Parts: sequence; C-alpha cells; structure tokens
Amino acid sequence: MKGGYLQISFAWLFAIIVGAFILFLAIFISVKIINTEEEVQTLEVGKEIGILTNPLEMGFESLKSTSFTIPTETRIFTECNNEGNFGRQLIQISQKSFSKWTETENYVGFSNKYIFSENLEGKKFYLFSKQFSFPFKVADLIYMTSDNYCFSDAPEEIKDELESTNQDNFFTEDCPENSIEVCFENSCEINVNYAMKYVEKKSEKMYFDGEPEMYGDALMYAAIFSGPEVYECQLKRLMQRTKQLSEVYNEKSFIVAQKECNSNLENDLNELKNRAESLTSSTSLNSFSFVVDDLEKKNDLAECRLW
Amino acid sequence: MVVKRHPLVSFKLPLISDALKGTRRRFLIASGKIAQENNKDKLRMKKAQMKIQQTAFMLLAVTLFFVLAGMFVLVFRFAGLKDSNTDLEAENAMRLITKIANSPEFSCGESFGTQRTNCIDADKVMALKRKIKDYEDFWGKETNVEIIRIYPEKGDVVCNQGNYPNCDIINLQGEEIKSEYSNFVALCRKENLGGEAMDKCELAKIMVNYKQW
Repeated sequence: MKGGYLQISFAWLFAIIVGAFILFLAIFISVKIINTEEEVQTLEVGKEIGILTNPLEMGFESLKSTSFTIPTETRIFTECNNEGNFGRQLIQISQKSFSKWTETENYVGFSNKYIFSENLEGKKFYLFSKQFSFPFKVADLIYMTSDNYCFSDAPEEIKDELESTNQDNFFTEDCPENSIEVCFENSCEINVNYAMKYVEKKSEKMYFDGEPEMYGDALMYAAIFSGPEVYECQLKRLMQRTKQLSEVYNEKSFIVAQKECNSNLENDLNELKNRAESLTSSTSLNSFSFVVDDLEKKNDLAECRLW
Repeated sequence: MVVKRHPLVSFKLPLISDALKGTRRRFLIASGKIAQENNKDKLRMKKAQMKIQQTAFMLLAVTLFFVLAGMFVLVFRFAGLKDSNTDLEAENAMRLITKIANSPEFSCGESFGTQRTNCIDADKVMALKRKIKDYEDFWGKETNVEIIRIYPEKGDVVCNQGNYPNCDIINLQGEEIKSEYSNFVALCRKENLGGEAMDKCELAKIMVNYKQW
C-alpha cells in the first residue's frame, strides 16, 4: 500500500502564510478602528449633551425644561471634581453596540455646568433647570432624569412646580409601578424632610438649608435627583464659583465707588467668600443663611446695587 | 574514496550514522551526465535565488502597501476628528452666545432696575477682566469674549483699567478674535453725571471666539 502525502509548492506556502498574516492584521486593525470609533462617538455624545444644556442656562425664568432622545440605548454617568478654580462637571457615555455596552475611560469635562443626576440608562432623557442664587445668581442647576419619579405626597407648591416642567416622567398622582417614590411625609426610597431641610437617600443625608426661592428648593431637587457623592461635590463647586463671583463683585464695588456710587458690601462679600471657601459638606450649609440673607438685604438697600 | 572513470562513477560518501557503524554508502551516476547535472544544479540555484528575491520583494511590497494604507486611514480619520471637534466648538460658541449675556459674570441682574435679558453690566465685565486669569477655559477651550460698543459710535479704543469708560472694545482675554459668533446686547454702566450716579445703556455686540482645531 502506497502512503499518500501532500505536496505544497513554495508559492502556495508563501500565499497561505502571508494571507493568514494579512487577514489577522486586517481583523486586528478593524477591531481597533471600531473600538476607537465607539470611543469617539461616546465622547461626541457627551460633548453634545453638555452643549445641549446651554439653552437651559439663559433667561430669568425660575424653571426651564427640555428633553433629548438618543437613537441607541445609552448610559450616562455624571461625576464631578473640585480641581482648579471651578472644579469640573464630568460626563461619561456608554452606548449599546452589538448587544454589548461600550467601555470607555474617557470623560467630557465642563467647568461652567452643574448637572445633578444618578447614573442613567435609556434612550430618552429629561432635563430641567433651576436658578441657584446665593444671594446673587451663581448658576443654573441642571437636573437630568430618565426614570419615572412619583411625588404623590409633595407639598402643593412643589407639585405645581414639577407639573410646570411638563416632563412625562414626573407623576404627582396615579404613579406607575416602576416609578421611584419621593416621599415628603411617609417613608420610602427617597425621603424629603422639608422642615428639617434634608433629603435622605440610602441612609445618607444631604442638607439643602436656605430660602426656597433663592437656593433652598434648587438644592432640594439636586439632592433628590443625584447621589450623595455628586451632591456634595457639586455643592463645593457652587461654593467655588460663589467665591470667584464674590471677588468679581468686590472689584465691581471699587469701580462703581470711583463714580461716587457706593454699595458698602465689601466686608460682607469677603465674609461670604471666606465661608464659601471653607465649606466642607452640606451639613454646614445652615451657617450661611444669615450671611446670605444679610447680604441680600444690604444690596437691596444700597445706593448702587451690585447685582 | 574510490572513483571509477568508465562506465560508472562511484561515490562512497559516509553518512553520519553509517560512519558511526563503520559502513559506507555507494552512489552511482552515469559519467556523461555530470556536466548536465551541474548545469541543472546551477539553474535550480538561480531559480531558488530568484524565488527568494521575489519573496523578499513581495514582502517589502506588502508591508509598504499596509503602511501606506494605514497612514492614509489615520490621516483621513484625524482630519475627520479635527473637523468634528471644530464643529462641536462652533456649536458650543453658537449656543454660548445666546446665554453668556445672561450668565452671572456678565448679566446686569437688578443693578439697573428690573432684570433685563441680553443686558451686560460693563462695570462687572471690567471687574471680571481684572480677574480673567482665574476664568481660563471656563467657557470652553481657548474661548475668548469681546464686547464692542456699536452705538453711539466713537472709535475702536480698547478698554483697560486706565481709560474705562472712555473706550469702545472690551476684550476679556486680550487676544484677537478669529472665528466668532455674535449677538446684539445692551451694555449698561453707572455714570457720574453732576455728582450723581446715573444708569447709562448703549448698544453693543458681543462676540464669542472658539478654537479651530
């Protein structure tokens, strides 16, 4: 019996080896390009979200709302840091691609935005904003949500305000089953103690002390829609901006004083600046109340109002 | 080694294994064919050399092709990235221009009576200019803001702490504006008229510069 054998010429062997190498290289590069493209796309979406929030920060209306829809399932992670003079709002995006969530380490950062939200998932996202005055306008706080929220036992003024946002995911009655309950009187997932001025979430308290129309309610919504870590970090960022604005108003008071128009708010502004600089957590927020109220009253009565 | 000239040539070449055993192996080749065999060997050698050269050139060509294709893809991709980044910066500037006049660092607030939209407090902007280093990249990468008084028209004197308010252009960063979006605003300030502080508002244009990648 003759033993069979395979005769492969050099040309074939060369073609097979080089072909395999080329195929491997092509697949490797394709995978790399797809990953890079996904990364670029998520960063672009993050930047777009930041830019889309710009219209929420204009005008004087107490509350503005909008929504946006992304064609693919998207996860939005919001974080913040307190680096530099203003800290940074960080947005990270992960999108579903071929039934898998894209993984990215990169964040898109903004110094002039304050977004309060939990980690979100979905296609439609709702945004509304509320002015934070301390006592001068510091920023417009942006609240981003995707889940349904139930405010069945909220005070009437809160219910009215939430209804005025026209957001489909806020319910003040007939709440759907899957909604997150926010309780003002009873006990549930998110407890708001409106009298003691704190929001309790996962046994952690976030304080929002202050006049409701100035900054109290803005901070209450911030605590409801974000986690304790984001809330405390953003509060410090707000204080960082308060400090910078206090310095600007102090400079302005010198400029207008040269025109024989005095405000006499320099000392109070310095006091606010020092307190804002030293804020460590929301628990010490109640120490601001009298400084902020005093400053507001003095500015109203000043010969030259600074804000 | 024994070599017979006619009719056969005999080679006794030791093999390693045979040598170890002390045996010899015999090769018989027709003597007339030696020259032919030598020529064939040379031809085969040349062919083999040609093949190796071909392979080397082929490998070089394939590598070069992939390097060039990769470079083309990278250049194309980076150009696209730069374009999309510039587009995003432009979009940011476009949206920023609509809100910047109402941001706390610029807006009149209630300094000149009731709150007004698109009203810029010139005194506050000059105060901000003094502290502009703290606001680096606050409104975006390399974003610069310039406010030009357009009515009543006076000239193009750039404002500084010495000549304010007798000037026309407030350039926050002090850098040239290249690619911009603009919006019309009211530019208000306090003015001392006969020992009394008065509100004075003029028409101005605010321009936001954005970075072109």
